[in-house]
Amino acid sequence: MNLSFVRLVSRLLIVCLIGLPFQVNAQMIGTDQVASAAQAAAARDSVASFMNRSDVAGQLQALGLTAQDAAARVAALTDAEVARLAGQIERLPAGADGGSLVFLILVGLLIWWFVKK
Amino acid sequence: MCLGGCISLPQSEALRAAPPQGLPPRVELAQVPFHRQDDFLCGPAALAMVFNAAGVQADVESVTPLVYLPGRQGSLQAEMLGATRRSGLVAYVLAPRLEDLLRELAAGTPVVVLLNLSFKWVPIWHYAVVVGYDLEKREVIVRSAGRQRDEWSFAFLEFFWQDGNHWSMLALPPGRVPASARESEFALAVAALEQAGRAREARESYRALLKRWPDNLIGLIGLGNVEFGFKDLAAAEQALRRASVAHPKSAVAFNNLAHVLAALGRLAEAESAARSAVALEGPTLPQARKTLEAILERRVSLP
Repeated sequence: MNLSFVRLVSRLLIVCLIGLPFQVNAQMIGTDQVASAAQAAAARDSVASFMNRSDVAGQLQALGLTAQDAAARVAALTDAEVARLAGQIERLPAGADGGSLVFLILVGLLIWWFVKK
Repeated sequence: MCLGGCISLPQSEALRAAPPQGLPPRVELAQVPFHRQDDFLCGPAALAMVFNAAGVQADVESVTPLVYLPGRQGSLQAEMLGATRRSGLVAYVLAPRLEDLLRELAAGTPVVVLLNLSFKWVPIWHYAVVVGYDLEKREVIVRSAGRQRDEWSFAFLEFFWQDGNHWSMLALPPGRVPASARESEFALAVAALEQAGRAREARESYRALLKRWPDNLIGLIGLGNVEFGFKDLAAAEQALRRASVAHPKSAVAFNNLAHVLAALGRLAEAESAARSAVALEGPTLPQARKTLEAILERRVSLP
């Protein structure tokens, strides 16, 4: 067995080993962790974040979404947004309607005020 | 009713006193299509309009399941952002300034605004889309509810806009940076797009972010991560190495750089980067340790 054959085999072995995946545990750190830190959120507590997300998904379900839709919609929100929603969904602004009597009355009053000035 | 004393519209007043510099006198984004809203569906209608403007096919029917909440008979602001991301666009909340809104229009991006059409304590919330302005007339051009084209004075807009803390948002096509962008808010907006699973679009927007702010940490790490996901290891290394140089205290930059170097087979360098990550400690220490362990194991197993 000559030396260059041994070298070739070694090189092939190295290439094969590089192809092996890391253990599942060692991971790149996601951008969202950097983002949470940048928003001065406490060092991202993944348990708290998970709980918040499930809470909010549950609340969205109670408000008429399917479990699947609720999960998909929560997944598109940042940790900070989820934290702000938790427990507040009933209270937060929900844009709905463009025509209303109150609006027309207010417009009337505004016009009157501007004319008066 | 204390209208006279209660109405204060400082932004309109300020714009009357000192018109904004460097803006064209008149802008109208006539190409923004109109989607008429049905009952309670001003959220989906507004989004459909700005999605179309950003090059994404959408209508009230397709957007409704992304954002409408039946139990509230309306759409929450956060979900307006989420729906935008799920449609492959960057959702960016503007600063609460009318002038910034005008700058975005001048740059060609229509703006969704949240309005309260009623009294503060009995609000009726509504989303409308601003598609233009006229500085001389001090007016904006709006698509709202059943009306394709309305002209509202700045004062009128401000009056109905203030209760929602002057909230407004953009739906940006990938690669576009808002005219009034603030670095940190825009970086977070792109990261949120990545987190929503739109890696391809996020990559384009990270590149645009970094063109403008080359050392932005979220941008460099985000780009590195996304390129790694696309198996462009050279690009990933470049971004993460720049991150580690511009931010030598970022354990995340070193940790992720270590992963890329290991994937490239450069284990000695990978180990060095992983050791730097571990040395920086911080909340990501457990992950950095695992990275180092994995690299050391691989080095040991090689001849």
